[in-house]
Amino acid sequence: MARGFDPAEPDLRGPVRYMLWLVRCQRRRALLGAFYGSFWMVSLAVPPLLIARAIDGGLEKGDASAVWTWALALLAVGVLNAWLAIGRHRTMTRIRMEALFGTNRVVIEQVKRLGADLDRRVSAGELATIGVADIVITSAALTVTGPGVGAVVSYIVVGFLVADVSVLLAVVVLLGVPALAILVGPLLGRLLGAQDSYRDDQSRISAQLIDVVEGLRVLNSFGGKRRHASRFRDQSARLRDRGYEVAAVTSWISGLAVGLPAVFLAGVTWLAARLASEGTITTGELVAVYGYVAMLVIPVSSLIEGADQLSRAMVSARRIVGFLGAEPMRASGRGAVPGPAHQAELVDPASGVRVEPGRFTALVSSRPGTSVAVIERLGRLVDSDATWAATRLTSIPLEEIRERILVADHEAHLFAGTLRRVLQGNTDADDRAIEDAIHVAAAEDVVQALPHGLDSIIDERARNLSGGQRQRVRLARALVADPEVLLAVEPTSSLDAFTEAIVGERLRASRAGRTTVVTTTSTLILAQADVVLFLVDGVVAAAGTHEALLAAGGEYRRLVSRGDEPDLATGPSAVAVLDRGVPT
Amino acid sequence: MTVELDDQPLPGLPVADRRRVRRAAASLIRDDRRGFVVMITVNCLAAVTMIVSPWLLGRMIDAVGTGAPVSSIDRLGAALLGFALVQVVMVRVANQLGSRFGERTQARMRERFIDRVLALPPTVVERSGTGDLAARGTNDVTLIGDTLREAAPATTIAAIQIVLIIVAALLVDPLLGACGLIGLAGIGVAGRWYLRRARGAYLAHGAANSAIASQLTNSAAGARTIETLRLQRARTTACEEAIAQSRAAQTRTLRLRSVLYPSVDISTVLPVVLVLLVGFALVRQGTTTIGAVVACMVYMQQLAQPVGTFLLWIEQLQSSNASFARVEGIADAVTAPAAAEPRVGAVDSDRIEARDVSYAYPGHDDVVSGVNLKLEPGERLALVGPSGAGKTTLGRLLAGTDRPRRGSITIGDVVMADLEPEELRSHVLMVTQESHLFLGTVRDNLLVGAETADDADLRRALATVEADWIDDLPDGLDTVLGADGHRVDASQVQQLALARVILADPHTVILDEATSLLDPGTARRAERALGAVLAGRTIIAIAHRLQTARAAGRVAIMQDGRLIEVGTHDELLDLNGAYAALWQSWSGIDAPPSPEPVDG
Repeated sequence: MARGFDPAEPDLRGPVRYMLWLVRCQRRRALLGAFYGSFWMVSLAVPPLLIARAIDGGLEKGDASAVWTWALALLAVGVLNAWLAIGRHRTMTRIRMEALFGTNRVVIEQVKRLGADLDRRVSAGELATIGVADIVITSAALTVTGPGVGAVVSYIVVGFLVADVSVLLAVVVLLGVPALAILVGPLLGRLLGAQDSYRDDQSRISAQLIDVVEGLRVLNSFGGKRRHASRFRDQSARLRDRGYEVAAVTSWISGLAVGLPAVFLAGVTWLAARLASEGTITTGELVAVYGYVAMLVIPVSSLIEGADQLSRAMVSARRIVGFLGAEPMRASGRGAVPGPAHQAELVDPASGVRVEPGRFTALVSSRPGTSVAVIERLGRLVDSDATWAATRLTSIPLEEIRERILVADHEAHLFAGTLRRVLQGNTDADDRAIEDAIHVAAAEDVVQALPHGLDSIIDERARNLSGGQRQRVRLARALVADPEVLLAVEPTSSLDAFTEAIVGERLRASRAGRTTVVTTTSTLILAQADVVLFLVDGVVAAAGTHEALLAAGGEYRRLVSRGDEPDLATGPSAVAVLDRGVPT
Repeated sequence: MTVELDDQPLPGLPVADRRRVRRAAASLIRDDRRGFVVMITVNCLAAVTMIVSPWLLGRMIDAVGTGAPVSSIDRLGAALLGFALVQVVMVRVANQLGSRFGERTQARMRERFIDRVLALPPTVVERSGTGDLAARGTNDVTLIGDTLREAAPATTIAAIQIVLIIVAALLVDPLLGACGLIGLAGIGVAGRWYLRRARGAYLAHGAANSAIASQLTNSAAGARTIETLRLQRARTTACEEAIAQSRAAQTRTLRLRSVLYPSVDISTVLPVVLVLLVGFALVRQGTTTIGAVVACMVYMQQLAQPVGTFLLWIEQLQSSNASFARVEGIADAVTAPAAAEPRVGAVDSDRIEARDVSYAYPGHDDVVSGVNLKLEPGERLALVGPSGAGKTTLGRLLAGTDRPRRGSITIGDVVMADLEPEELRSHVLMVTQESHLFLGTVRDNLLVGAETADDADLRRALATVEADWIDDLPDGLDTVLGADGHRVDASQVQQLALARVILADPHTVILDEATSLLDPGTARRAERALGAVLAGRTIIAIAHRLQTARAAGRVAIMQDGRLIEVGTHDELLDLNGAYAALWQSWSGIDAPPSPEPVDG
């Protein structure tokens, strides 16, 4: 292993370096691939040699035993070639496979490293492109390590074989083949440009189709289908025209890839035939030269194809390297000051929020976003001046904060797995702890409705649960984690009044003595809180118990209590001060 | 997805059967018959140019052998070179025609797909979810497109080449050509063995690869959750599991190829050896020339390449066939419009009435049962109850989106579900909690409701729902919204949805938690404004909280699919039933407060 090379540490200095890293991760296999590739391609030159002998030594002289000898030798070489070919294919498949897995692993590592910063660094679409296409394209390009190397080796060997027949022919062959490759080169550049814009249009039309599908409900009730259909048609026509452009270029490449070697073959054969008619070379040698050059089609087109793959992989690898090189936005985990030994006060100077240790605090805000921002600062999902026991959160190791402070997001992701695994999170909680959490989140019915209880499979994003069920599963998961400080964003917004009241009471009881912060505007939850902090324009405007704040009237009362609004006659309904739901 | 619907298992969308797939493929070709014929013809010509050179080589060898003058060698050489040049052009043109044909066909296919999607009955969309539809429209259509562009021309050319090479060999010498064919029998056996196993193995291979990709995109989507819940270890495990599965699946397909490829390779050597041996005997008898033997040997060698290509792509053709069956399957879900006789203009009253209405999703118990409800024009009704009670389903029935299993819902004297969609939406509109933001501009999003509205109308509607953020947009109504443009939050999407209602101006509006994402103040004002704009219109507000009920004219309590109580707030309190009990637990919170609030 070369100095400074670490299989766990990808080389991010550029797309080429990255691909080299992928090769170096499986150096032995790459060497084996090159061995098979070279021997296979070289041995492809043997049958023409044998056929030439069979013609010169057997057919022309009428020597039966010579014909049989060479025929059997031809068969033997055929079997050998088949073995080499499959050895090469198997090795190359493994190389591509491991490269694909390797990139997957480092991309996952980077996802974990960026954490909450990922959304701020790359768009979802970009990552989808990496996940679906780039990783595959990049690993496919590693084919050049085997057949690519083999192509060069076999080119040289064939050169020697032809030189044995005629030096003139050898010079023509050895100069002609590189000339072919150079001729095709510039086309590849044009191909890339055309393909890129084609792919852009292709993903645009996919996005538009998904847009129509997801908006079908609206289109069904409101109409406007014709407009969308015609927009889609326009896009579709544009993509088709772009496809024509790409075809104009790609078809030249395949035409030349097949045709140029044939042109070259024709020229060399013509020359060889003249030499044969002059008697400089034998008929068998003429056939052999034809065979050699015809066989060169394989390495040459493999080189052309390799160049194509490589140039496409450059684009993809650049995107991968770009993602892998992205740095977290937060000065992540550099702090070295340990957090408080016991429960302590969390303070967010920006909003004036002070969270007293061991108590149940509720944040109410007329704009939901502002309470979430407070939670993000207190949970150190962003860098801020927020403190914990008077120590800035940015000075405390991120690791420790994550261990002790849990931010339970409103739309926290639910990964696929058994319900038990989903609820366990990163803990080893036993079924009793899990059932307790389920009880607090009033999610017993979720478990009962599933075919195998806790062992039932939950789909990615818990698509097989309803919005209200998902919300309770999220809450239960946060409770299983049992953090010292729980910061929950709108944990009950999709629940009906009955369930919400139950969850509020149980949550308060189960978190007794530990720090809990929830953002909410529901009176059912607010009534359970020890302290309610009322934010106006992102700053604490009032603090106290729910009752006290209600009694003081004013903006808070108007915000949370709507029971006695006088405008029943004019309003369609005073729908939903508190009707805060989530898309399900 | 609504809460109620989500709890139902999703029945899948139909997949086309073999016959329909064949018919659909034939119709795609028929629609572009000229293009297809030209493509096949040019491909044949291209294949012809490719097989001329071995024949010319054979002629050259014989010319050399008979000591022909250099001039005749030169003639043959020039012909060889000329054909090669023609070959470059022919292969290029053949490829281009193939790609263009593929491109055109794919465009037609996806346009047909979107037409069918737009024609899907709303119930089908609700029930099967949008994920499968989207996957069929993107992944499947793209795969078929790739096949049409690459695999189809490649296999066409390869098949034509195989046939022509065999014909050419038979023409050069029938006996030698026949020898070659016998040698090829091995490929047939190996190919059959392989294709019988390939489909399942490659499907698993593809599924395992998408599992890897989706594992990655989901990790990315949940990166923040991974951090907050410290799920790093679990994600590594999930990644490794996906890798292990993919490795197993890929190893299996590799094993299949490990049998196929060597069989094909050896099978292409056998004919060459056979031609050599038989050719030798024939040359000795004087029935053929050495040139003919060489030409046949070269033909047999040439066969290897198209045969390989053919086997390589045929697997992709198989999987595209499966994709095509899924894409075409949508056609089965598009049923003819339900209305026996369109009742356009027959609606003479705005009164909506439900009589003994029941509804069930196929294979399930009733979610709505025995509902009777009369809605007076201009009335405001709140429909409340716990989640899962069937509120949304009843709302959809009242909106005419679904047809009741039993009983009837009428508007005036007309059965609601019989109305043409166009007619229906001039009467009733349903706005759901989760509204869709369309790709495109603010205007695109609003014109969904009223294609003829002018900018002044749009601005008025936006002002009514207090969407004042529109004024801050860089390009006003032309600002592109969404991921690639100006980002809007869920509450702004809801404002756009409400503005859409104002523009559409129906006489009955069903609001299904339609303001739930707005902040309380805005929600209240938006509703009040909406109420003013829609004065005299019937409004049904669906909610799972009681606050809604208090404010409405009438309240309907729904539980387990039934309307258990209907009346005004005060009537229901007097009734002392379920509503009164719920209300008690609520109003306890409104108890008179005592202590002074502390300023923060």
